[in-house]
Amino acid sequence: MDQVEIIDGYCTPGTERELQIHADDLQAALRGAGVSRAVIAPQDREICVDNVTGNDRILSLAARYDGWFIPACTINPWYGDAGIRELRRAVARGSRMLVLSPALQGFILSDEVTDPLIAAAGELRIAVYVHTGPHSSAAPTQLALVAARHPDVQFIMGHCGSTDYAHDMPAVLALGLNNLWYEISLVRPWAVARYGQLMGDDRLIFASSAPRNDPATELNLLNIHWPIREHPGTYANNLRRLLAGGAA
Amino acid sequence: MIFDCHTHWGDCYQARDGLAPARWLEAWDRQGITHGAVFPFAGLINDSAIGADNDAVAAVCAKSAGRMLPFCTINTWQGEQAVEEATRCLEVHRIRGIKIHPWLQGLSPNSPGMDRLCELAAEHRVPILFHDGTPCFSLPSQMAVLARRHPRTTIILGHCGLLEHWREAIAAMNAADNLWGCLCGPHRAALRRIVRLCDGQRLVWGSDHGFTFEDMPAYFFGVFGSLDISDKLRHDILDLNPRRLFAMADH
Repeated sequence: MDQVEIIDGYCTPGTERELQIHADDLQAALRGAGVSRAVIAPQDREICVDNVTGNDRILSLAARYDGWFIPACTINPWYGDAGIRELRRAVARGSRMLVLSPALQGFILSDEVTDPLIAAAGELRIAVYVHTGPHSSAAPTQLALVAARHPDVQFIMGHCGSTDYAHDMPAVLALGLNNLWYEISLVRPWAVARYGQLMGDDRLIFASSAPRNDPATELNLLNIHWPIREHPGTYANNLRRLLAGGAA
Repeated sequence: MIFDCHTHWGDCYQARDGLAPARWLEAWDRQGITHGAVFPFAGLINDSAIGADNDAVAAVCAKSAGRMLPFCTINTWQGEQAVEEATRCLEVHRIRGIKIHPWLQGLSPNSPGMDRLCELAAEHRVPILFHDGTPCFSLPSQMAVLARRHPRTTIILGHCGLLEHWREAIAAMNAADNLWGCLCGPHRAALRRIVRLCDGQRLVWGSDHGFTFEDMPAYFFGVFGSLDISDKLRHDILDLNPRRLFAMADH
């Protein structure tokens, strides 16, 4: 792998089902693929119902690895005010990103149920990562509506709607929303190149979604279509800029 | 032998290469793929192109020295015309299977016309491969119900549920002995679960090669190659199972 900096924008050191991986093993796999740091997020059950447990587990892991892992937290918007209190608590303890997963958490992405939580994330100046792709609940076009409704909040479109919304992506990119970033795990490598050609290197964010994917395999295949050395924004700088609170 | 069991003779290839398969086969050659199933593409998105596209697929496959195994498509909403087209392809072109893309073609897998197609496929001992992983007409469970209603017909999940419905694909394959799965689209962790929890004798691999010029075999073969599975199971999926599926010699 090319010796350039790579930050992985989304991984899950899980304890259940196909996400089971010890943090040591995750770190070793990422390092072996050339990754120097990685965002870690709660696993499915924690995203759905055990927000506090998941947030604390991820924060503890991040602390144990001395900053190598960057902690993300999750809140199910149906928890309402209690969820917003948990968001403030998690961010105060170090969480750097809010993860939403409409399909797991049971809401339609464009639904107003998310508005208070998203507003709180904006106030706390943390980016909102949204898993997209599942039909009906998490389409890229829905996230575009949400991003337009919250222009002061930074959003990361997880997976760019892979795979069935690929035809919508050029139209969404053409909207030119300054507060929308595009995370490329699960996106086919040739589609990453197409999106990059449409919008350049300053909006895409690399992630492996390990352990759902193998980081080395993904990076090797991505490197063919969207070379790592030529796109430092995609593979490290955009995420660093975003986590630092930088907008467009 | 290595089989790619999910490809399309794309209109991009046809526009560029006519009916010459050489450049299309180069992508297989780079991965060591020897054979595969070739589906229509234009006929999936345009009913009026079905006959011509079926002819084109048969013609290009006929020039591949037996490497490309032709599939046809029909639209069951066309009633008797669809049955006639399937019969023509089976008897004249000797097609090796039937491809249905329910959400592109607007067909529910359990709509009435599908029963006649299943009977026809069983009579000619060819499989029906469905696109799957996309509501509301392409859920693995819909194919499982169809498979259970037609136990003599071999039905294949073309994507094993893709990224969203792979767990459902596992349940579906475990609910119907005549339902196969093509490992084409789910992420690596999902593939690992599928090969662990499903009958390894009913799994094949595919790349979706051909509907664009992108080197899809390289990507999907790379992901499949990274699976920590036994050599025997890998051999079964890539070689023995497809040979059995297509009733080829020496399986």
